[in-house]
Amino acid sequence: MRISVIADFDTVVGFRLAGVKEGYVVESPEEALERLRELVRQEDVGLVIMTERLVDRIRSEAERLLEKRSFPLLVEIPDKAGPIEKKVDPMKELVRRAVGVDIKIE
Amino acid sequence: MADLIEGVNPTRMELLKLKTKVKLAKKGHRLLKEKRDALIMEFFNILEEAKGARRQAEARLREAFAALILAQASMGVVKVTQCAYAAKETPGIETYTRSIMGVRVPVLELQETSRSVIERGYGLADTTSQLDEAAARFEEALAAVVQLAEVERSIKLLAKEIESTKRRVNALENVLIPRLEATVKYIKMRLDEMERENFFKLKRIKAMIEAR
Repeated sequence: MRISVIADFDTVVGFRLAGVKEGYVVESPEEALERLRELVRQEDVGLVIMTERLVDRIRSEAERLLEKRSFPLLVEIPDKAGPIEKKVDPMKELVRRAVGVDIKIE
Repeated sequence: MADLIEGVNPTRMELLKLKTKVKLAKKGHRLLKEKRDALIMEFFNILEEAKGARRQAEARLREAFAALILAQASMGVVKVTQCAYAAKETPGIETYTRSIMGVRVPVLELQETSRSVIERGYGLADTTSQLDEAAARFEEALAAVVQLAEVERSIKLLAKEIESTKRRVNALENVLIPRLEATVKYIKMRLDEMERENFFKLKRIKAMIEAR
């Protein structure tokens, strides 16, 4: 299956060097969402790599889009400026919902 | 006290049926509880993995971006971009699913990402070693990111399953079982009541017959 990158210019160039040819440089979260929609429609995309900065802005839409399917997987990575402070940490939220208590991860 | 199940006749047949239902519900409840506990244990195992995976991916990416910036500084952004376009494509990923306690989670398998300088596909004459370094770092980062994606998705799926199992356990424990038990009790009381009524009726009739 294909791997695809939706990110800023430098991230896309970096992953191109590593051999991921399918990179889309986007300027805004809306554009990223549009790209993601397109990729979800294609059946053979296995993994979409997106920067945290983008995903954080379109989180609920993106989650709705991917909810019912097993592929593609969406993974968020920090961009060249490093990890960002998120409004809600999705992993922590998951743990809280599943186990019922807040557990500090990290 | 819990509600009764509506529309049940207080008969012995119903009582027997309800009793088997209670037994079944209790058995189901116990099994679901075990499933929930096992899921939570698995969940914690994977959580441990995820912590490491995210940290590792972030560290690898940090190195990769640093290397990329160096390469851009030594060769110019345009040239680096050209080389990136010239680089050969990786074969992509193989995907499978595996099952943890009946939850189907994805497994991603990336073919070997690390390549030698010659295999990467860009020209060597006018590129610097910083570019090779950046490419190598990004290849490592890619592997870490793929690993991260797999682990995080597994966690998400497990969490969802735990949530729904918990809901079912609670529904059985707090609604269905008390309701069934209350209905069983109600039928028992009605049957006893009918028996006493009958007994008294017979006594009365006997007394009336004797009085004649």
